[in-house]
Amino acid sequence: MKILICFLWICLSLSACNQGPEPISYGKDACAHCKMSIMDDKFAAEIITAKGKIYKFDAIECMTDFIQENQEINVPEASFLAMNMAQPGNFIDAKKAYFLKDKAFKSPMGGNLAAFELKQLAENNRQNPDWEIFSWDELLENQQISTVLK
Amino acid sequence: MRVLLLVLCLFIPEMLISRTIVVAPAGKITSLKNAVALAKDGDTIIVKAGKYNSFNTLINKQLTILGQGYPVLDAGFKEECLTITAHHVKVDGFIVKNSKTGAMRDYAGIRLHHTAYVTISNNKLLHNFFGIYVSDSRNIQILNNECKGSAIQMESGNGIHLWKSNHITIKNNYVTGHRDGIYFEFVKASLIHHNLSEKNFRYGLHFMFSDDDVYQYNTFKNNGSGVAVMYSKRIKMTNNVFKENWGSSIYGLLLKDISYSQISNNNFIRNTTGVYMEACEEISISKNNFNNNGWAIRVLANCINSKFIANNFIANSFDVSTNGTLNLNHFEHNYWDKYEGYDLNKNGIGDIPYRPISLYAQIMEQIPQSVMLMRSFIINLMDKVERSIPSVTPESVKDVQPKMKPWKNL
Repeated sequence: MKILICFLWICLSLSACNQGPEPISYGKDACAHCKMSIMDDKFAAEIITAKGKIYKFDAIECMTDFIQENQEINVPEASFLAMNMAQPGNFIDAKKAYFLKDKAFKSPMGGNLAAFELKQLAENNRQNPDWEIFSWDELLENQQISTVLK
Repeated sequence: MRVLLLVLCLFIPEMLISRTIVVAPAGKITSLKNAVALAKDGDTIIVKAGKYNSFNTLINKQLTILGQGYPVLDAGFKEECLTITAHHVKVDGFIVKNSKTGAMRDYAGIRLHHTAYVTISNNKLLHNFFGIYVSDSRNIQILNNECKGSAIQMESGNGIHLWKSNHITIKNNYVTGHRDGIYFEFVKASLIHHNLSEKNFRYGLHFMFSDDDVYQYNTFKNNGSGVAVMYSKRIKMTNNVFKENWGSSIYGLLLKDISYSQISNNNFIRNTTGVYMEACEEISISKNNFNNNGWAIRVLANCINSKFIANNFIANSFDVSTNGTLNLNHFEHNYWDKYEGYDLNKNGIGDIPYRPISLYAQIMEQIPQSVMLMRSFIINLMDKVERSIPSVTPESVKDVQPKMKPWKNL
């Protein structure tokens, strides 16, 4: 009995301090910005705010638009995650990532952005002549390049 | 007259020499690819019943290609099945199946690229990643086709996918088991009518950045998230049925960043939310039936100048809800089954205004958990008090001329 209680206690305490990213359940979760349900594991993104609240997005351009509209969440403690195009389904830290804008990558909201861990990888994946590569800061500074098309 | 005759004389021989090529499993020509290679512009290819492998057969000539007894074109999950790049092509009466599934490329059963005046009719598209994929094209007719996807969520593309096209007609098709039933991105001046889209994983119909389109007489049933019309202008949505779209963040019709559009004579039946509107402008919602929905209409406060006129609201848990004040939207002449007013002058119009937003709907907006109090005595009491002495619900949202009896023939 004691062991059981002990075990439950450990389970509880562990579950309480879960601060990591939450996996996206495709087809069920809706994008916090555009309300579309998230279907594509190549373009999804996620924000974990400083307080631990999680926002999920169907595309990187939705995440950057959301940050523009809610500047208060853009603090150093918050983490921003984007899907690794080289390994769909796995998140990488958006702050360290490189973003390739190339129309071969048809992201759900027309931003055509794909995230890669290394600049070299991003360059290797370009397909059209008018490609561009941005860092996270460049993406946030220049809203023109990453916004949802209107 | 003479000139006309001369022209006719010049053309008749041309017409006479157009040939018919027959493809049959045991015939002289055994594949569509060979037939296309032999054919000239204007020829007809008839494909007899049977099973043919078709690994991305390219149709780059003006041909009429007819299937007799539903011949099967099978891509064996290796490639696309058909690609059409010529103008004036007709493909009719085939079973097109098993296109490749890909992460980076959108493989399709039938692909149309950079073409015009093409008709795709009476085909059955089975287990394709994308069913019919149209890009950079105009004046395309997609008629009487049946698209059945793989029914595996991560391996399904859109049933009928259009990208950067204009003047497209999509009529009488059936789409199921795909990601989006019908998908429009940058498609202008097109018409979607009499289609049935059901049990798709995401949306029955999905508009993105597409202006000046019309969809009418369609049925969208039991799709993952209903129908979404986003970032578009001047869309006419009439006489459609939106049915049984249930679940959190699932809407009969999701409108986001839509302006100057018309929604009329539609039926919204048994949806979690009938119509959800965010950042919309100048939308006219009239003569629709809202029956048995959780929320008939959810309008976010960033919508302006929308008009809700002559609709029926019957047996919905909530008629209207909002997250703000909804100042600039107008309700008039609707029938609300929850209206408890009177009509002393017997003109069919209630004498006191109806406030479609109940106090409980306002509470639900703030505290979704309060759903557990639904239909309880205390909630009914609070709603009654609020209706007689409004204090919390937005003062501006009211129907000053509510109908006493439901509208008929909607």
